Amino acid sequence: MVFTLILTALYNAILAVLIYIAEKKTAFGRIGYKKKQIIIGILFGAMAAFASTRFAGVDIGDGTIMNVRDAAPLCAGLIFGAPAAIIAGIIGGLYRYISAFFGLTGTYTQLACSISTALAGFIAAALRKFMFDDKKPGWIYGVAIGMLMEIIHMLMIFFTNANDPGTAFNFVKICSLPMMLCNGFSVGAAVLVISLLGKDRDAAQFGKRHISRTFQTWLLICIVVAYVLTSTYTYMLQSQMSNTETETVIKTSIDDVDQDIHDTSDENLLEKTNLIKSEYSASSDKSAAFLQSLADKYNVAEIHIVDDNGIIVNTNVPRYIGFDMASGEQSAEFLVLLDGTQKSFAQEYRPQSYDSSVAYKYAGVTLQEGGFLQVGYDATEFRADIDSTVKKIATNRHIGENGCIVICDDEWNIVSEGTDYTGYNLASIGIRIDPENNAENTIFSTDFNGKPHLVEYEYAEGYYIVGVIGEEEALFMRDVSVYLSSFMEVLIFAALFILVYFLIKKLIIDNLTEVNRVLSKITNGNLDVTVDVRDNEEFASLSDDINSTVNTLKRYISEAEARIDAELEFAKQIQYSALPSVFPPYPNRKEFDIYAQMNTAKEVGGDFYDFYMLDDSTIAFLIADVSGKGIPAAMFMMKAKTIIKDLAESGMGVDDIFTQANAKLCENNDAGMFVTAWMAIVDLKTGIMSVANAGHNPPVIKRANGKFDYEKQRAGFVLAGMEGIKYRKTEIQLSPGDQIYLYTDGVTEATDKDDKLYGEERLINLLNSLGKNDMEVKSLCEAVKRDIDRFVGDAPQFDDITMVSFRLNFIKGGNKLSFIPGKDAGAAVSDFAQQLTSKLDVLPKISSKVSIAIDEIASNIINYSKAKTAHISYSIEANRLNLMFEDDGEPYNPLEKEDPDITLSAEERQIGGLGIFMVKKMTESMDYKYENNKNILKLVMALNS
Amino acid sequence: MTIKQTNENGKLTLALSGRLDTVTAPDLEAALDSSLSGATELCFDFTDLEYISSAGLRVLLKAQKIMNTKGSMKITGVNETIMEVFDITGFADILTIE
Repeated sequence: MVFTLILTALYNAILAVLIYIAEKKTAFGRIGYKKKQIIIGILFGAMAAFASTRFAGVDIGDGTIMNVRDAAPLCAGLIFGAPAAIIAGIIGGLYRYISAFFGLTGTYTQLACSISTALAGFIAAALRKFMFDDKKPGWIYGVAIGMLMEIIHMLMIFFTNANDPGTAFNFVKICSLPMMLCNGFSVGAAVLVISLLGKDRDAAQFGKRHISRTFQTWLLICIVVAYVLTSTYTYMLQSQMSNTETETVIKTSIDDVDQDIHDTSDENLLEKTNLIKSEYSASSDKSAAFLQSLADKYNVAEIHIVDDNGIIVNTNVPRYIGFDMASGEQSAEFLVLLDGTQKSFAQEYRPQSYDSSVAYKYAGVTLQEGGFLQVGYDATEFRADIDSTVKKIATNRHIGENGCIVICDDEWNIVSEGTDYTGYNLASIGIRIDPENNAENTIFSTDFNGKPHLVEYEYAEGYYIVGVIGEEEALFMRDVSVYLSSFMEVLIFAALFILVYFLIKKLIIDNLTEVNRVLSKITNGNLDVTVDVRDNEEFASLSDDINSTVNTLKRYISEAEARIDAELEFAKQIQYSALPSVFPPYPNRKEFDIYAQMNTAKEVGGDFYDFYMLDDSTIAFLIADVSGKGIPAAMFMMKAKTIIKDLAESGMGVDDIFTQANAKLCENNDAGMFVTAWMAIVDLKTGIMSVANAGHNPPVIKRANGKFDYEKQRAGFVLAGMEGIKYRKTEIQLSPGDQIYLYTDGVTEATDKDDKLYGEERLINLLNSLGKNDMEVKSLCEAVKRDIDRFVGDAPQFDDITMVSFRLNFIKGGNKLSFIPGKDAGAAVSDFAQQLTSKLDVLPKISSKVSIAIDEIASNIINYSKAKTAHISYSIEANRLNLMFEDDGEPYNPLEKEDPDITLSAEERQIGGLGIFMVKKMTESMDYKYENNKNILKLVMALNS
Repeated sequence: MTIKQTNENGKLTLALSGRLDTVTAPDLEAALDSSLSGATELCFDFTDLEYISSAGLRVLLKAQKIMNTKGSMKITGVNETIMEVFDITGFADILTIE
């Protein structure tokens, strides 16, 4: 029987597991919340209905089935959700209500069961929503809620059957414990199994919070103690009251019987006494013998005549003559007959004053002539007289509903009629009374018919009057009230528990959680949030305190930030000022252009560039990037820059500069910093550029007639990275117009808001797309920077963006000048011509002619040839100067040019052709040829004429 | 090349030194453009001028054409080399050389 219940209790857990698995593994998991809740509600509703049937419960009579129905809606609610609980509760309740009409379930608890199952749904829904934050509670709460629900169920049975508490109590007594246990077990098991399956991932926070747990523990202890105390007190009080009540009930019945017996015996004796008095008064014989004859006739033991003074004056027992009635306690009671207030008096059966070993019953009536006549019975006679009456006295007397009262003789044999046990000795039917231990008129318990009964007795006129009542009946009210009050207390305490929990949660825990949430934001660095809990005074003040602390902190931080910012700015300026920053740096040097720019990030970085003339015809330039950022990087950068410059100025090759700089930078480099660097030294006389690379990004080089491309020669290891590194140098022959673009990783690794890198490809594509106007060293850098800015957008700049742009315009070395026919070419040619003439050591007239020749031919090439590069070279032999002009422009033979008419007036003169004409006049010979796509013009000038 | 300008009572004197060639001729042209408007007499002092190329001749021709319409122009201190250029190119006939 109990097994059936336990099995049914487990069905809820099984259903819960099936739904859980279906939710995880099948399409059921993907349907909407509402639909899911409805399906789960229906399933658990069906489970509740099933639990009501005979297959799942235990019939305890009247078709009432002890069951675990309420567990189903509780499981639905606590595990799956509030709507499911309500649906399951309503289905279960409706089934229970309707099925009773078809005799499927009992009618006695029909209403109570229906209501409580429906209520279970609502309670589960409410608890889930308000107590467990819409999460699954711990299994222990499942057990507690299951048990509480059954207490409500039991109370419902009482309330709906208030007019028949006996039957209700009977049901409750049988059902309460098993149903509480089974429902508690059922809900607890289902919650536990699902928690184990889900590894408690979504278990309610409830119970995990320290404060609430401590609070709950203490609250629970207090409540349990209070419950035990009040229940014990109620039990004791009710027991006491029941005992007193039972005692009173029995005593009243006994007293009634006692009174009846007395009345019977008194009546009997007084009747005899009056008859004796009549005969005595009518007779003239007043002798003792006559009295004896009367005594014999009426079958009494003694007849005394007492005078006005209370002295026995006549008697059939001669030894009592002269006995003073006032002298004995028993006899003295009869003196009431002498004061005229009472005409007759009957005394109970008791020992006489004269001889206490003999028990008599006396009665007296007053005599006409004064005094009174007293008659004394002995027990045997007396009993024989009243027995028949007494036997009937207890008939139809009941105590309570099933208790009874019997009369026994002094041997405890039942003499009263109207009971199945008349004639039996009490002991023989199980009621043993030992007057030694069980005093008269006190209640005590004994077993009768195998059940405990309460018994009380009283001795009256030689009989024992015994009252018996079943203990169960006697204590019924006590038990009902103890059950009821216990149930109510549990409910009240549960309600109190939930209420206090709510108050704590609302007033303290929720607020603390909010404060903690904000505090964790603050801890994570967001100082702009504020705590704003204003539910109560304490939290409002806490919020204010936290906010003001944060504000103070914020102020300190911003002050410190401002100071550091100022220092960093200062450091940045110092760093900046160490780099050449005036452009153009060598306005007189037309053979090259150089430009550099550095856009620092907010933080001080370690990028740097540098350039310097090593001698009149040699320029060195470099770009470098120190690892890391901030002041250490800046200081290391200064050190690296100084070392490299010192080494470069001592005149060594670029490979040796790096090798030695590395050795020096490695010394005492405990911080483990390093520098990537790329350096070039250009011989402006030859256009040979020797470069060394210490782990730096490959430079971009544009050949005069080509495109920009990465110059990816093998890079050496970074400077300061490892001792003993030897660097190699690579020599590159530059032509006029070649451009070199250097950059740091701040360019290629600039990131946009999506963290995409600017990249080498984008850089090279941009450089190759630049127009002629952007080819100037400065505008080239600016164009790149503009493109980076476009790419980066609003994203912050993390690294320094540093670039150096170098362009070789012409090469002027020895007896040759190479140049691009561009805007500075004229100056270069003029310069070249001056150097040549100053070297010639001839008459000023001759040198002027040489200058004019070079100027005129070169300016023709510059202005009209559209050549990309041009060369002027000379040789001197035997007082003759050979000048050779070479250009890759359009074919043009100056010898074919017609001479201008030099006789015209100023107004008529055309200026064109004058130059060539002048050169023709000043030279010994001119020779032109067009070869390999080049115009080659040779002049011979006499130096001594 | 450097240009030293003096201007008194409509007489503009430009003293040139160095070389008047392709590179420097535009400077002289610019100087004339800005100063010539109010002048009725223009004087070039070539004492310190080393030589002159066709670009320089072009400027001189332009100046001569302008001064022909509003006054006079003369060149002083011409050295042998420059004089040779003037002779070769026929400028000696056009210009007033003292």
